[in-house]
Amino acid sequence: MKLRPIFSLALLLLICPQGRSQETPTITIKKGDAVAVSLQPLTGAEGAAATKVLENDLAISGWLNVVPGGQSGFTIQGSASAGSVEGRVVNAQGASVLSATYSGGTRSAVHQFADAIVEAITGNKGIATSRIAFVGTASGKKEIYIADYDGANVVQLTRDNSISVSPSLGPGARQLAYTGYQSGYADIYVINVGTGARNRVIKFPGTNTGAAISPDGGRMAVTLSKDGNPELYVTSIGGGGARRLTKTSGVEASPTWSPDASEIIYTSDDSGSPLLYRISASGGTANRLNTGASYNTEPSWSPDGKQVAFNTRGGGGFQIGLLDLARGSVRNLSTGGNSEDPTFGPSSRHVAYAQGDAIWIIDVPTGKTFKVISGVGKATQPSWSR
Amino acid sequence: MKRSLFSCFSLLLLLALMAGCQSTKKDFVGVDGDYVTGSPLPDRQEGVSFLGGNVSRGDFEPIYFNFDSFSIAGSEAGKITAIAAAMRNGNANIIVAGFTDESGTEEYNRVLGERRALAVRDALITEGISGARIQTVSFGEELPANPGSGESAWSKNRRAEIGVVR
Repeated sequence: MKLRPIFSLALLLLICPQGRSQETPTITIKKGDAVAVSLQPLTGAEGAAATKVLENDLAISGWLNVVPGGQSGFTIQGSASAGSVEGRVVNAQGASVLSATYSGGTRSAVHQFADAIVEAITGNKGIATSRIAFVGTASGKKEIYIADYDGANVVQLTRDNSISVSPSLGPGARQLAYTGYQSGYADIYVINVGTGARNRVIKFPGTNTGAAISPDGGRMAVTLSKDGNPELYVTSIGGGGARRLTKTSGVEASPTWSPDASEIIYTSDDSGSPLLYRISASGGTANRLNTGASYNTEPSWSPDGKQVAFNTRGGGGFQIGLLDLARGSVRNLSTGGNSEDPTFGPSSRHVAYAQGDAIWIIDVPTGKTFKVISGVGKATQPSWSR
Repeated sequence: MKRSLFSCFSLLLLLALMAGCQSTKKDFVGVDGDYVTGSPLPDRQEGVSFLGGNVSRGDFEPIYFNFDSFSIAGSEAGKITAIAAAMRNGNANIIVAGFTDESGTEEYNRVLGERRALAVRDALITEGISGARIQTVSFGEELPANPGSGESAWSKNRRAEIGVVR
């Protein structure tokens, strides 16, 4: 704490002009600063439709700000036809920054182009080719769905006609684990998203729920009550080799993995109210994470490992909190209403959540929110691919 | 004299051990095969589930719980006694289903419901009923008894129900 005033002073000296012309000026780029780009409507048979998709991708990306006219450092142009996009980015000097062809259907090609634009201009990972799995009630029952992150191409993954909830996407959206009640109990199922093949992998006595596939795709963290109390376990992706990590008289829930799959953050109410804890995936001491709130559930670890999003309760509803793991600081996100089940996107600057009947995305640095998935009854419990 | 001194010493030793256990409670992490604070659940019966046709629901009053709690209140204890008495008079198995109100997030509510079901099971085991006769399931905030909002509805949803296997 004593260091802080000195640090602030040093920072102040760095950024305020001191009249020393021989010093190289320090440019501080805040996370909220978007790079201005110009977008020329895409040409070609599918140009109009492709341009709409691209505009939306760029708006949500957070890294880029499309400005009218030509007053920007980069111009985006290209053409779309026959399910392919030929895309280019040139800088203010007219030099090519990006030039490539993308295929696989118009929307997919545009999304690939959008991610490539973000990467070429800012060096960061985009979210335009990602997918979000969620629970929808359009059929009258809770079933698992998956869609493009912008809400297009909604696919119903389960037809269990029961209660199918708590979806968790594995790496690359190739596998999805969820809790299904077809047997009358809460069991864990794993779906191969590409083929639709499904297997029940965990069916211990009691309740099995909250499965989270590890970032390497080989394991799951899950809550099992088979030993007489709901505790946190790690199993193989096939459901075998269950190893218990916790022993408490309370309940453990909602595990989320660190990006290197070495640690897990979860909720436990062993102290009397649900708090966040951090533990090695191999077992050991659980360390409590201090958020300043008494109710902390549904944590989601960011892909860059730096933050945890979680639900906190107050004011008659749920808010989303962000805990900076290194600094220990917490902020609440302004999402304009009751927001549940936060899940980080692959950029580590976007968080998806359920609000009203829809799935929304917030770009944390700018605070902009986007309603992305709706029209599937009540949509809840999003899980975002990485 | 010696006997009471021994008892006193044993009690002190027990208290010391318990105090020791309390202080390291947060640090201890179980390993496979170790017991947890409840009693392990028996294997499920094939083809039997709480919502299924071969289970009779409503034979007993639901046990109600306070907000965010899985403790069985003194006012609810009589219901446990009644269930235990009925189970001693027969050999039917039961499934205890745990539920919550909607004022929590879904996954936390699912495990809270399970903890309520297990609390009822533990109470019945304490009354001498074999744990092998009792299964648990949690529906979390699904299937509310009262779909309304507000405390009068929610207090009816924070419950454990008993299903008797026919």
